[in-house]
Parts: sequence; structure tokens; C-alpha cells
Amino acid sequence: MQKYSVFNLIKNAFSKHQDWDLAWKDPTPKKEYDVVIIGGGGHGLATAYYLAKEHNIKNVAIIEKGWIGGGNVGRNTTIIRSNYMYDDNALFSEFGMNLWRKMSQDLNYNVMFSPRGIINLAHSDAQMNVYTRRGNSMLLNGIDAVLLNREQVKEIIPMADFSDNVRFPIFGALMQPSAGTARHDAVAWGYARQADSMGVDIIQNCEVTGFDISSGKINGVRTSRGDIKVKKIGLCVAGSTNILAEKLNMTIPVETHLLQACVSEPVKPVLDRVVTFGAGHFYISQSDKGEMVMGGDLDGYNSYAQRGNLPTLQHVLTEGIAMMPFLSKLKMLRTWGGIMDMSMDGSPIIDKTHIGGLYLNCGWCYGGFKATPASGWTFAHTIAQDRVHKLNAGYSLNRFNTGHLLDEKGLGTKTWIS
Amino acid sequence: MSQNFRLKNIGLINRDKKISFKFNGKSYFGYEGDTIASALLANGVHLIGRSFKYHRPRGFFGSGVDEPYAIVQLYRNGESVANIKTTEQELFEGLEATSVNCWPNVNFDIGAINNFLKIFLPAGFYYKTFMWPKSFWHKVYEPFIRKAAGFGVASTKHDKERYEHKYEYCDLLVAGSGPSGLASTYAAAKNGARVILAEDKPRFGGTLLTSEVNIGNQTGKEWAESIIAELKEMPNVIIKNRSQVFGYYDHNMLVMSERISDHLPKTKKYSPKERLWYIRAKEVIISSGSIERPLIFGNNDTPGVILSSAAKEYLKVYGVLVGKKPLIFTNNDSGYETAVEFKKNGVDPVILDTRKNPKSEIINEAKNLDIDIKFSYVVVAAKGYKKVRSAEIAKISEDKKELSIIENINCDCICVSGFWTPTIHLASQSGNKTKFNKDIDAFVPGQSKQEETTVGSANGIFTLEETLKNSFDMGYELSKKITKNDNKISVPSVVEKKSTEHDKFWCVPLPKGKNYKRFLDFQNDVAVSDVEIALKEGYRSIEHVKRYTTLGMATDQGKTSNLNGLQLVSNIENKIVPEIGHTTFRPPYTPVTIGAIVGREVGKHSKPTRKSPIHKWHNESNAVFVDAGVWVRPRYYKQGNETLFEGSKREATNVRKNVGVCDVTTLGKIDIKGPDAAELLNRVYTNAWLKLPVGKARYGVMLREDGIVMDDGTTTRISENHYHMTTTTAQAANVLSHLEYYIQVVWPELNVNVVSTTEQWAGAAIAGPNSRKLLQKLFPNLDVSNEGLPFMGYTEGNLFGIFARIFRISFSGELAYEVNVGSDNGNFMWKKIIEIGKEFEIQPYGTEALSTLRIEMGHVAGSELDGRTIPYDNSLEGLVSKKKDFIGKRSLNRKAFTVEDRQKVVGVVPIDKKTSIPEGSHLVKDANAKLPNPKLGYISASCWSVEHDNPFSLAILRDGKNMIGQKLFALSPLKNKSIAVEIVSSHYVDPKGERVRS
Amino acid sequence: MLHIKCPHCGMRSQNEFAYGGDASVKRPELNKEISDLEWDNFVYLRKSLRGKHLELWQHISGCRQWFKVQRDTATHEIFKTLKANEDI
Repeated sequence: MQKYSVFNLIKNAFSKHQDWDLAWKDPTPKKEYDVVIIGGGGHGLATAYYLAKEHNIKNVAIIEKGWIGGGNVGRNTTIIRSNYMYDDNALFSEFGMNLWRKMSQDLNYNVMFSPRGIINLAHSDAQMNVYTRRGNSMLLNGIDAVLLNREQVKEIIPMADFSDNVRFPIFGALMQPSAGTARHDAVAWGYARQADSMGVDIIQNCEVTGFDISSGKINGVRTSRGDIKVKKIGLCVAGSTNILAEKLNMTIPVETHLLQACVSEPVKPVLDRVVTFGAGHFYISQSDKGEMVMGGDLDGYNSYAQRGNLPTLQHVLTEGIAMMPFLSKLKMLRTWGGIMDMSMDGSPIIDKTHIGGLYLNCGWCYGGFKATPASGWTFAHTIAQDRVHKLNAGYSLNRFNTGHLLDEKGLGTKTWIS
Repeated sequence: MSQNFRLKNIGLINRDKKISFKFNGKSYFGYEGDTIASALLANGVHLIGRSFKYHRPRGFFGSGVDEPYAIVQLYRNGESVANIKTTEQELFEGLEATSVNCWPNVNFDIGAINNFLKIFLPAGFYYKTFMWPKSFWHKVYEPFIRKAAGFGVASTKHDKERYEHKYEYCDLLVAGSGPSGLASTYAAAKNGARVILAEDKPRFGGTLLTSEVNIGNQTGKEWAESIIAELKEMPNVIIKNRSQVFGYYDHNMLVMSERISDHLPKTKKYSPKERLWYIRAKEVIISSGSIERPLIFGNNDTPGVILSSAAKEYLKVYGVLVGKKPLIFTNNDSGYETAVEFKKNGVDPVILDTRKNPKSEIINEAKNLDIDIKFSYVVVAAKGYKKVRSAEIAKISEDKKELSIIENINCDCICVSGFWTPTIHLASQSGNKTKFNKDIDAFVPGQSKQEETTVGSANGIFTLEETLKNSFDMGYELSKKITKNDNKISVPSVVEKKSTEHDKFWCVPLPKGKNYKRFLDFQNDVAVSDVEIALKEGYRSIEHVKRYTTLGMATDQGKTSNLNGLQLVSNIENKIVPEIGHTTFRPPYTPVTIGAIVGREVGKHSKPTRKSPIHKWHNESNAVFVDAGVWVRPRYYKQGNETLFEGSKREATNVRKNVGVCDVTTLGKIDIKGPDAAELLNRVYTNAWLKLPVGKARYGVMLREDGIVMDDGTTTRISENHYHMTTTTAQAANVLSHLEYYIQVVWPELNVNVVSTTEQWAGAAIAGPNSRKLLQKLFPNLDVSNEGLPFMGYTEGNLFGIFARIFRISFSGELAYEVNVGSDNGNFMWKKIIEIGKEFEIQPYGTEALSTLRIEMGHVAGSELDGRTIPYDNSLEGLVSKKKDFIGKRSLNRKAFTVEDRQKVVGVVPIDKKTSIPEGSHLVKDANAKLPNPKLGYISASCWSVEHDNPFSLAILRDGKNMIGQKLFALSPLKNKSIAVEIVSSHYVDPKGERVRS
Repeated sequence: MLHIKCPHCGMRSQNEFAYGGDASVKRPELNKEISDLEWDNFVYLRKSLRGKHLELWQHISGCRQWFKVQRDTATHEIFKTLKANEDI
């Protein structure tokens, strides 16, 4: 595989960039694989990459209904963080942070990981206490966290509303300085390119139509491009989990919902942090292109439509202006929607299932993008070793029976409330 | 400066009203009715800005919403606004605008160095480099790239403008007032339908303003004017100019933004800057027209290269020549119309037609006018850096692959026409699966998904005759469906020139040895070569092409570039365009001001503010307020220079010593009535309710079905079948909905009903050893003795003529009562309590003292009942009935909830009895253990115990039951605190509960 | 914004309503002996398929009645609304 570097970029310039290799090939499916990953999103591509790299399992296919990176990995607000309260979430995410930090070099693909820091604004003393609990938990888990008072917040983001005409004044904030953003498409493409180079088949426009299961074990998968024999399948299809689960006669504690996001027109750099609003649900960062990338609540009813309605965005942007009034004068340029797996406690599932050789990776709610490397790494481990790693032990399917829930927000099973 | 490019006797601008404005600091003038673009062009100014990546000079390309690059920073009434399209922004007196994305100025832009480095900066170059050394991306490369990107500057000042929302219902919404929009509106309106007609531009009429056609015995323009005049008088019609229908949402809800004030120097008093219309239409007609498609050739981004239709519009609407030596480059008849207009106005154009030998009326007219026409000719490249000075042209072979000898031709503008792209955004947004029409080489709407119909050129119909006939019919048919009227208007006759087929050719090949950049997306600098690279590297899905090259992702969202991009991909991949498919159209059609989307809910009004009826008194009594959800409550009543700590301590002490009064109006209150009320309570709460006597209150805890505590509160049996439930302030709405769900959906057989009475009652809690004496004075005729009104008793009384409910309940652990009166009398009650309480040393107390009192009592509240704890965790297991079933009971026996060392609430006291423990600290065994340090529990609430005069906290601690007496550390590394603590009982005051019963 | 027909009040815009999730969930009868698995399934498992979905809504800013809506989760087309005690 060609190495991406300044040197090669210059070299190729003189051949008018005609000699670049394919980033990934477009193979036809083989009759048999050791592992099939269903879903060519970030998590699926990462899983295949780590199967090949960490476990030397290279006879792997990724089966994607559409085009790779077309789901939530290309539809999110690119935030990467590990500011969790519960140990299971915190340690998993921090493991992921370490993978993020070296991802561009590991993949030889610039994913533009930018540790610009995330600031969670607090608007009351009670909220400061809640954040203190979380921040202390982070520090005790070895994750960076800083508590900021109002003046410190003002110094970092003076454009937030520090005026008197404010409904919920800023009291302070919890900040994770090492959190940040990355270029979402690049993550999918970078994993795809490396997985491909190690022998993984990336099969696009290939829809799963059924499974071949006998005596409780996976034997193969049926697809729109033919049947494939395989003993191990990793299901990695956020947003379509319930559709595939139906084909497996499984019901999974996940509801399918729509989350919208939007960007403003590009403007010169004005906001160099990720900021979240504490008196509602709104988050914002400015992309390298200059667009304000903004998101918030779910549309609030089960949905498979990758399109949403305006009242939700109105609500989200209302909170945006409440937090940063200058946004009012910018223009909303583009909106989009992603289909979310909303699990019943707000935390994901990476686990084996009652079907031998079938592994499940789902339920990422709002937090799938940042989990991409850690999810791929632990899922690959779970598949390769046929047992969960201690990092994803908390993400078990049976926690809904044992009561070992990971409800960071304390909202329970009404997944559409945020 | 004189307007060298303004014609005398043509145009729709108001020449009686001169308007002066500034661009890049230089003064110009234009006329009322000009846009910035038309006024600058009239002054011969073509260089407007710089492109995104290579900082190449940018001019004007379009004449409206399709404009890909002529955007500026606008200064209006002391406000600075980024990224304003000069082709849309109307001129007003004193307007100032500056170029964006250039430094130090648009003429000499340092960033243009990128233009020379462009061979090193192909699509996706940044994915391949900037990776070494590791830390450099965030620290060095990225800041540099960020600075280079971004166009205009966002002012961080608060927006002074006002935006409004309006909700409207209509029978028919018509989006676009061109011939198809006018015809369908008119037909529907005449048939009695309630119609809204929306036009994006200031002027109604669309292409009728610029076409040489006749309708009936009028010119197209006259016909449009007469129809508009008539529609304006009709009571069933709303017509709105400067109004863009930008989104088609579910259930035929469309959203339109109306620019009320943007064309004025400042917004009028009592008038908003913009108004957002939510329109629920029974039927929608999409008459949004079409956008001319560019032709692609070398350096086709040079200022002076412009859409032929835009050139015509500048000429006919604004009386402005985009050049005096125009070159018209076309693959269809539309370019001829522009050429003819130039010719008629004394300018000699040259036409290059890619077709070999086309024949039509308009071509004949051009020939008759002696216009120089070169068939089978193409523009190979534009010449000139900041402005077109000449063009390289060449004859092209029949297969369109070979160029013959290149010639140079002098020109000062190149007007391009690559045929038309129907504007199908709204139809696509509605869910309509669009289809490819190979006759016009573009997508048109397919089967309607919602109640939408597309007419005119938006539907791929390019003759006026067919457009009018079809639009009149649709207006009539749709209105008839709704109004059942049958008043049909006859379609007027049309005179127009018939045109012939366009050429299926859009991209001029490069001549041998030349490496001209041929641009698809002008704003984002996406060239043909970028798409070629993307495909070569395997980014083959159209979505991959778009994302890898950023094609169509600029502020114009690809209005002029998407189709050419698709065509290019289909040519290279040897597929037909519909196989490639197009990327999804999403709202908004054109960028919408965020303030307009938000409307009036800004600043203090971003969320409602709920105040108790006693709020004014609190305010006058120096209360410092705190937000409790959307309620505002007194936190403490400040005396002198008191801090929160001092004030709340004083208030809490006074409750323990004398008596205090607290406004508890915000508590949720629910009236429960019916023979099965007790049964409902018995199912909702964890404890037993069937035997609660009339006149008695009981504390209850309710769970979610997953076993987690949802809320707590007291409920009182007012009479046989009548209960009064209280909830916490935060959960009031949820609890009401919860009860309604079980009554209506799960147990409809229960004969009981619930209604919120939160707003009906004002409440005051009177707490402290003197509270009975005070109560007696408030209700002299009532027996308030311990026997007459025992703990958890209820009675009703007459408070100086006002009906009052009196509950003997306590949150503070003291002898306490809660008095409720109708909200209107809340203030009266409060004042009476304060007045009469004086002799008992009464003081009002706020939420902070309230907190202190409950914490040292070990009474759990929101910080413990945080949606993650079960009754046991809160030491409420005594209230969990073993006998009866209730909501959530079955979940309580799950493994994690019943483990031996399950967490439980405990009290925490610092060993030094001095150091307050910050809330949110974690309890650990070893303060210096290596990370991750195992956490045993956390501090949920802290106070200064006024009873013991030392700090006291509550914590939720693993195995709390067996931890009493243990020594641990409370760590708050965020605050650099490590405090040695002892675990004690959570009941730090009056553990036997004697005071409340005294 | 969806347009929902409250079976008690008629057509109203979505902002008058609150969503209530899968309407096919049946709460086990009180005091009934059921397995842990049955109970957990009631608490945590929902129908959430692409296509026709029977769900609960509450007319929260209106008559406050809970009712059922049959809606397509891919297109949001509403086929039918029913009172809480009616079956499809």
C-alpha cells in the first residue's frame, strides 16, 4: 500500500495525481469467510481492522447495504470525549481516547483528531454538584477533568451569554481538556483503507436477507449478492439493529430514533472548543471549514426516516441562542438526521448472544462516533476470543435482567426523553 | 463613480431614487430596486471575493439564490452579518459591504499563494498529510487551516433584531410566482380556495419579467402585473414577496422565511427583521422554476463568467450590462435570448454554440439580427485573472472529444448556458422519489408522496404554453377537490418562440498539454480533476465523491454544481446518471437565519419563568433567587452583607429555635377523586394506602416499573373519595402523566380521575417549635393541639375569611404545618403569617435552609432520588410493602438490587468537624491509591448542621448498612480536597423523630 | 411537525402532544405469578420496527387523554388513531 505523506503528495503532484492507489478495492463476495461483519459503518470497519491487526484474522468480509461510512459515522457532530461518571463507561471511553490520540499515525490517514476540549456548562449550584461528582469520578479514573468557575468560563468562551438578559446564567463548567473532535468521514475511510490493505473484503451495496442458523449456531449469512458461509458474524448496524434482529427472531432492548443535527454557514474561527448547554440539550463546535456544528434532542418518536422536522431544530437552536446569542445572526445551512439505537439505559451493548457465533454491537444512543475505536477493538476481541474483554464486560445484554444498569442520565426506559 | 454599464431605457429599478453605498470602503451609487450585485456590475465592479481553498478571484455568477460565490460581509444598522449573497441583498441607503476570505484585500490576497500550490492540494490532500509530528495537527496545521477557511466573520455581539413566528393554514400553498405559480394561484383563488403565494424575490413574475412572450393580448410582464394586482385584492389570497419556502416537512407542513426588513436601512419599530411561517397546507403547488446549468471549461471561475440567464436578468430587470463584449457560450437556445437582448441594446455578442446545425425561431432571429454565431464551437478557457479579458475558443469534433486549433477571441464576459435544472428540492424534501428525465438530462419529481404537485419548469416543462395550461388546470383541480367549487378560468393564448433540442454536452475537454482548472463547484474550488482523483482512489459512491471533494457542500449547496458533478461521474464510470443517483435534498433550500428559526424565545424568554404568587414579597424582602427547573424560588433572604452560607445558617437555626416560613407553592399538587382513588394510590405507591382515614396524610414513594424511585411526597385524604397528592417540584408534570397513563391505559377499570392543581394553591410551610403557637393565632377557632391536629393530620380552617387547608407534615424534622390557600390569596396568607409570626420570632427561609434542614434530618430529596436509586438506597425500604403489588415491585428483586453490599444512604462527618465536604466528592478507602482508585460512594448533599454546628453530608455508599463508624476519605480531586471522614447514621438530628410528633 | 388526530379533540399539531412509546406493551396483571424473564421483557423490550408501528401519545396540552396512533416509522404517515381502550 502506498504510504500517505507529504513526500508522496508532492511526488504524485508531478504525475497529476494519476498514480494514487485505490483507497479500498471493490471485491465480489467470496463463498466463505472466517468472520463476517455486518455493517460498514465506523464500528464495523474498525472491528474488521482490529480483527486483522490484533488477532491476525484476515479472512474477513464487511457487508454494507449502501456505501461505507454512510450511516451515523458520517452523520454525527464529531465529538470525542470520555467524560463519563460510571466506571464501565469511563474506562472504556478512555481506552478509546488513547486509540484516538494515535489514530492518524496508526491508520496513515489524517483523521484530524483535535483535542480542543469539551466544556459542559452548568447553570445552577445543583448542576455544579452533579458535574463535580462526574468530574471527580473522571479524575479518580485517571481521566482529565477541570472544574471552571464563571469567570474562567468567560475567559475561554466570552461569546457565551454572560449578560443580564439570560434565563439560566452560567455558574461554571466541567471541562475535559483532552476531549475534542475528529473528521468523521476520514475515520471510516482510514479504517477501511487499512482493513482492505490487510486483506479484509469491503463489500458495498450488499444487503443481508437472512441468516443460516442450525442447532443454535451461525452457519452463514444470505445476502443480495449470494450466500456466504461463515461461523462468526458480528452485527454492527446502529439504526438498523431492530431490522436485523427481527430476521434473527431476537428482540433487543433498543428503540430506533432520529437525531438531527445542523451546521451554520462557514465563518472565520470564533469558537475553538466543544461546548454543551446545561439548561437543556445542545452542543456545538466549529469545524475546520468554519461551520458551526450543532445538535441536541431526538425528534422524540420512533423513526427510521433520515429526515426530521423543524420544531426539534427550533427547540435545539433556541437553546443554542440561549447559550450563545451571537448564533442568532448566523444562517442555518444544512440539516441532516441519523438513525439512533437508543438503548434502555443509555449505554451500549457489546456482547455475545444466545446464538453461537453471533456477536452484537449496538445501542450507542448519541455516543457512537467517539466510541468507534474502542468499540471496534473490544468487539474484535469478543469475536476473536469468543469472550468479552473486561473493557466491555459492563456492556452486556443481560444487564437488563441483572439490574447492573449504566444509566448516566437517570432517565430510565423512556429513550426519547433527553 | 459613474455607472458605465447602466443602460438608459430598460429595467424595473426606480431611477428616481438614487442610493449610495460602500463596497470595500469605496462609495458607489445604485437605484432603488438594485441588488448589491446589480449595482456593482453597473459600476463595472466584477471582483467581489476570493474562493475557499485556492483564494482565486471571484465575481458574480448568478442573479439570485443560486449564486455560488458572490458573498460579502454586510454592515447594517450597526450590525455586521456574515456571508450575505450580493445577488439577493437589495440596496438600501448607507449599505456597506466588504469582501470576505481575503487578506489584506480582495485585490491583493496573500492566500492566493494556494492557487500556485494547487497541484499539491488536490481533493483530500489533507487526509494524506499533516500527520507528523503527532502533536502538530492540533497545534500547528489545524489552526492555520482554520484561519484560512470560513468566509465571513461572525460578530459575537448579541443580536438586537427581533424575529417572529406565524402559524397559518391554507387550502393551497404555491411556492414561486413565475408563470406556473401565478397561473395556478389565479385558477385556485378564482375557484374559492384560500391560497398563499410565496415569492423569494422582491418582484413577482419570475421569468415573465425577462422573457419575450405574449399572453392573451399582453406582454408576459404586463400579464403578470395584472394577475398580481387582482390577487392582491382577493380576500382569500395571501401573497408574499421576499419569502422563501425553504422546507417541506411531514404532514404537509411547510416553512417559509419572510424577509421583512433586510431591504431597509433599519428595521422599523414594532416590526421584526424576519418572520418564519409555519404553513399547514392541504395542497401544495411547487412552482419553483429551474436554474440554468453551467458549462465547464478552463478557468471557468474567472470573474466575468456568468450564467446567460443572469446576464439577461441584469439587463432586463436592472438595466445593467455584465459586459460590452459578451461571448455567449451555449448548448441550447436559451443563450440566444440573452444574445438577442444584448444586440437590441446596442452591444454585439458572439455566440458559440456546441451544436452542429440547430434550427429554431430564436436562432433565426439571431441570424437575422446579424449576430456572429459559431456552431460546433466551445470555449476552451477564459483568459484574465481578476476579470475575463479574452477567451480561447476552438471548434470541437462531432464526438466532442477533439478540439481543433485554438483561437483567441477578445471578450469581457462569457455568458454560459448549459440548459436547465428543475428546482426539485421541495418535492424531494416532501419524500417524493425523483426520477431522471433523459429528454432534459435532469431529475424531475416522480410520484407524489404528500399532497404536492410540481408544475412548470420545476417539473421539466419548458414551454410557456404547456406550463400555463398545466398550471391553470392544476390550480383548478386541486381547489375543486377542497372547495367543491367549479369555477374554471379559461387558459389565455400564448405567443412564444419555439426552441429546439439542447446538446448533451457540458464539459469541454482539455486541449493537449494544457492543465486548466475546470470548476464544478465554484465556492469550494472543486474541479473536474478533483472528481477524477476521488473516483480513481475508489471514492465511487456519489456520497463519497461529495464528501471527499466537498462538491456541492458550499453555501449554495450545489445548486449549480450537483448535476454537472453527477454527469461527470456518469461519464467517467460509464454509467447513466440515474444509476449514480443524487445526494439527498434536505431543508433548508437556502440558508435561513437562526434567529428567525428561534423566534421570540430568546434571552430571558428562552424558557418560561414560573413564579409563585408570593414572588413580589420575596423580591421586596431581599430574596436571592434560585432556578428550580422553570420555577424561581427564594434561596435565602439576604440581611445586610450576609453570604449564602451565613444567611441560610441563620434561617435554618431560626427554624430549629423559633419558627420559619417557607414558600412551598412550587410543589406539584394533584387532585385525585373517585371511588377507586385509594386503590390507585395503593398501586402507585410502594406502601399501603387502603386504610388511610379521612383527614390523614401519609408519605409515599413511587417507583418506575424498573424499580427506580420516581418521586416522593405526601398524599392526604381530604374526604371519602378525594385525595390531595403532592409531588416534588421537578417531577410534577411527569407524575401527572404517569398517573393518567395507568388510569387511562393500564387500569381503565379504576373509577378515578386526576387533575393538576399545582397552580390552584399557594402553600406556606411553617416549621419550628413555635409553629403551633403561630398556627393557633392564625386559626383561633381551630383545635391545633397535638390531639386535635396530630402529626400527619389534616384539617380545614378559616384564615381571616379565607378558606385554608392545613396539613401537619414536616420536611424539616421540626414540628411543622403546611397551609394552602387559593393562589389568589397566597400573598395575603403569607403576609398574615409574617405579621402574626413576629411575636414568635418568625423568619422566612429559602431553599438553602430548607436543604440544610432536610439533610441533617437524613430526609432524601432530588440529589439522592436521581433516577438511579431504589428505595433501599434511600433507606426507604421500610415503606416498601411486602404484601401488596405495586408499580415497579417486581424489579426490586433483581440481582444487582439485592446484593449484600448494596449502596445505602449514610451520614458523613469530617473527622476534624470543621472541613465542609464538597458535594460530588467520592468516598474511598485509600486517599493515595493509584488510579483508577476504587470509589465506594459519593457525597450527594452537604450542609452545615445547625444542630451540631459542624459540617454534615449525606452519601450513597456501598454496603452503607455496615459502614457506620468506619473512617474513609472524601476526595474531591477537582477541588484538591482530601478529607478524612467518619460514616454515621443519616439521621443526624432527632433520630427517633420525636419533634415532628411533639 | 406531525399532524395528529386526537380521537377526542380532532386534528392538532404535534406540539400539543407527548409521545408515549410502543402501545403493544402489556403490563402484567398485578399479583400475577410470572417469570423474571417475562417481567424484564415487559420492562425493557419494545417493538421498534420499520413500518407500521402502534404507539401511544398523550394530548398533553389538550384533553390529556392517552391514545393510540398507528404510524409508519419510515414515512411518518399516520394510518389511524384510536382511543386508549380501542384495538386496531
